[in-house]
Amino acid sequence: MSAMSERVELSSEVRQRIRSMHDSKIYYNDEKLKRYGGHIDIDDHGFICFNELEFAPETHEDGMVYGCGMIGRNLRRFMNAIPAYIHPDSALAGAWAGVFQRFANIGLRPGDEAPAELKAIYEKYDIHQNGVGAMNHLGPDMTIGLRLGWRGLLDKIRYYRKFNAPADTDFYDGEEELVLGMLEYVRRHADYAREMAAQAEDAFHRNNYQEIAKINENLLEAPPRTFREACQFLAHFQSVDRTYYAGGALGQIDELLRPYYEKESKAGTLSDEEAIWIVASLLYNDTHYCQVGGQIPDGSRGLTSRISYLILQATHEIHIPNNLAVRVYEGMDEELLRRAVEYILEDGSGVCFSLSKGCEEGFAKNGHPMELARMRAKVGCNWTALPGIEYPLQDVTRLNMAFALVHALDDLMAGEEEPSLEGLWEHFCRHLQILVDCNKDSYDWHYEVVSRNTPEIVLNLFCHGPIERGLNCAQGGVDIIGLNVDGIALATVADSFAAIEERVVREKRLTWQEMYDAVKSDFAGKENIRLMLNSISRFGAPDSPAEKWAIRTRDTYVQMVTSSPTPKHHLKVIPGMFSHGDVYYYGEKLPATPNGRHAGDPISHSTEPDPGFAKGIASFSPTLKANAVAKTQPGYGNSAPLHLDIDTDMLGREGGADTLMALIHAHEQMGGTLINLNCITKEQIRRAHADPASEPDLVVRVTGYSAFFASLSREYRQQIVDRYLTAEEQKV
Amino acid sequence: MSPREVRGTIFNVQPFSVYDGPGIRTTVFFKGCNLRCVWCHNPESYTYEPQIQFQPEKCIGCGACFAVCPRKAHVLDEEGVHRIDRRNCTGCGACAGECFAGALALTGRNVTAGELFSMLEQDRDYFARSGGGVTFSGGECMTQPEFLKALLTQCREAGIHTAVDTAGCVPSERFEEILPLADLFLYDVKAARSETHRCLTGVGNEQILDNLRMLSDRGARIIVRIPYVPGEEGAQGAQSAGNALAGNVHEMLEIAEILKPLRLEAVEFLAYHRLGEGKRASLDMELKKFGVPAPDAVEEVCAKFRKMGIPARYSR
Repeated sequence: MSAMSERVELSSEVRQRIRSMHDSKIYYNDEKLKRYGGHIDIDDHGFICFNELEFAPETHEDGMVYGCGMIGRNLRRFMNAIPAYIHPDSALAGAWAGVFQRFANIGLRPGDEAPAELKAIYEKYDIHQNGVGAMNHLGPDMTIGLRLGWRGLLDKIRYYRKFNAPADTDFYDGEEELVLGMLEYVRRHADYAREMAAQAEDAFHRNNYQEIAKINENLLEAPPRTFREACQFLAHFQSVDRTYYAGGALGQIDELLRPYYEKESKAGTLSDEEAIWIVASLLYNDTHYCQVGGQIPDGSRGLTSRISYLILQATHEIHIPNNLAVRVYEGMDEELLRRAVEYILEDGSGVCFSLSKGCEEGFAKNGHPMELARMRAKVGCNWTALPGIEYPLQDVTRLNMAFALVHALDDLMAGEEEPSLEGLWEHFCRHLQILVDCNKDSYDWHYEVVSRNTPEIVLNLFCHGPIERGLNCAQGGVDIIGLNVDGIALATVADSFAAIEERVVREKRLTWQEMYDAVKSDFAGKENIRLMLNSISRFGAPDSPAEKWAIRTRDTYVQMVTSSPTPKHHLKVIPGMFSHGDVYYYGEKLPATPNGRHAGDPISHSTEPDPGFAKGIASFSPTLKANAVAKTQPGYGNSAPLHLDIDTDMLGREGGADTLMALIHAHEQMGGTLINLNCITKEQIRRAHADPASEPDLVVRVTGYSAFFASLSREYRQQIVDRYLTAEEQKV
Repeated sequence: MSPREVRGTIFNVQPFSVYDGPGIRTTVFFKGCNLRCVWCHNPESYTYEPQIQFQPEKCIGCGACFAVCPRKAHVLDEEGVHRIDRRNCTGCGACAGECFAGALALTGRNVTAGELFSMLEQDRDYFARSGGGVTFSGGECMTQPEFLKALLTQCREAGIHTAVDTAGCVPSERFEEILPLADLFLYDVKAARSETHRCLTGVGNEQILDNLRMLSDRGARIIVRIPYVPGEEGAQGAQSAGNALAGNVHEMLEIAEILKPLRLEAVEFLAYHRLGEGKRASLDMELKKFGVPAPDAVEEVCAKFRKMGIPARYSR
């Protein structure tokens, strides 16, 4: 172990402070669950339920909030309305109070919503996320904020407002209001810290509050000068970023903090233990997406440094949901990967692994240099983006390809021609094309309307271009636009085609009509037909004929997306295949499918095989699943994740870390893009599912994000359970 | 015949196997065994022919198996319960082919070495990364020598590390044949005395120990694996060589004496577990429940081996 990677032995005082934040997180989580109906199925955010918070927004006559100026004014008032908050054992001040849209009717003004012809398609194909009005799915470059501070950002806005002198000042009005609101927010926390210092009963807390007051006062006047001030700046950013449409990206966090850490560490003014405490305080503040590791753009040097390890240790010490990724590539600092894996084996979950080869070589296929591709950092639950220069909108669209199949089967059976597999495929492609085209049209619409309604008022500050040009990042503020479209339910579609091919076409056990009647009746009274269709060798099994359907479907989908930009504004579109955890949601309205899936049952996840896929001569294994996911990546740099849920009882205790490292590296080299890893025993997951409250500390990686297991709804918990336990094991 | 065309019968392929040799491995379970270990957790490996496994809890009562069986082996007993008359069942698999509920399954598949190798090859990146490879197990993989040799040959040509997991009860010539092709032997030692061994497995251990000594003399890389099986649960049977229900724990130190002079890479203890119980029921086989050993007890014996200079280890 080198000095760079050495674990820090924490003093009991610091351990206790971090433990205290962990316990508060559990407490506030419980409060949130009580308030929000017993479960939260998205990222475990750091917001606090302030009971006393009430807010009456300024609105247009129609009762809505839209437009940069009005949003800025409202956010300024809202940030002032949030009670000041400092956890007594945290190094940092501030918290957010839930998303702003919970307090105001914000969105696209009447008339700017998607047109009726698109809505008809959304209705027909059950499209809930079409990209129109999508927000916040881009990554900021936080070096802009750290170099300027809030005061510097204000000066920058004023400078460019004067320099550009636009006819319509709404954009600069809004941005300026927002930053003024942030300065007031910082001021209130400085004052609050002074008050708390006066009331503190012991020396540590008195000094701590005074220090927090001082750093916040400094941040009123200047950019962050110290490690702690930098983290405080980032914490305040996290609070306002989450407030506005739940933004959640920090970026390459080790490199953001390295200059401060190295300077103070050298000067002897910051110990490693303090650094861990301060980072843990930032993690307590919120679960923003960030990354450690990776390479400099030319690929000649790794980015791993001492602070990378300290950040990693902070996630381990506080042991609450976090959204940190370790970047994995050939030639990386293996010790960083080993440490991350060891923490996961110890804690059950931890960081996720963003995989360079698939992400970078794929992104380069869009016509970008590899140097740029290497800069794409993990800044979203499943996705990477170029901090501050790219508008990617990943994870905001879902095209349920299984709906295309359902309509295709109806068309085929209603037609006059003899049904055939290729006939079904042709109908499927026609419907899939409608879905893809609809999404491209939706993006054109989004492009036209979003900036005048809900500009990225927070993230514009941390991008290269918007303030300088006076343009929202979605509308020429940043140079690179590559809008993602996610096609989902790959295995549902592939297994359906394979089931028809095997049972109807090849074996002739069923006629087309018998199969169709059974599917249309949701297999009522036809359980044997359902089982017949369901028991084929499914996608993921090593010798499965379904694999060719999965690859054919993927190839066709990718070709449809990449073959043309959006028709009106010629915006670049990039294929993705991420379903998020919404496999139940997107299954709800989907009729029964020929893979033996009942109407309303969940669809398959991203490009993963369905749970229970391995039934043949080869038993289930993580490698089978990893191979299937690697083979079906969309291939243009946007991730389709692999969920590895490892039963630690199955993993050799000694050498467990080596095994997982080999698995992660091999998947990376095969072209995989992201690994979400959980390492718990089957017994623990069974216990927690039966009684979630019995495992309040159990953190799991759901898809790209992590959350307390006990916070999730039964359906979301079931997803994790299905990944761990076979149907038989669940009956025990 | 090229190695790819040689046929054999297997009953399972387990990728990401981490207990059968170093690194990430794919373990291939050959069907057919010449031992009958009383504690065996892979009883479906006994016969060389495919067998029908029946899990009645999955049955939806469609009756297809009754209709399709050419030997009328599916019967209702006097209480109206669906059973398989094993005397009539030939393992043709016709019923399993119709059982979409998965209650009936044909265990065992006849494959070519080429077909199987294509499947194994898919995980070669994991093998290379982890220092792993393929383990041939069973059943007794050495009882299908041509098939084993064909697979070892293909793996060697492809640079894939191989381990042969064997109980060693075959003529020494078979080891001579594969010695140049196998990278590692996982060699079971189940008892010290031949009488005990016969009682526990149905055969004596003279040939087994001779083969082990031969491999050691020839410089083969060997990891000896010792199943640690306490006596039958609840039974007060004497711990004697003639009593199968007494398990093998009482002979551990005698095993150590046998292993001491050999050149072994490691000696691993495998604690008895009960995962095979359900499988025995599905094959209508008699079930003997041995005691599940306390990890500390295994660790204690392991420590005694180490004290004697034997590189023993036990992973809980």
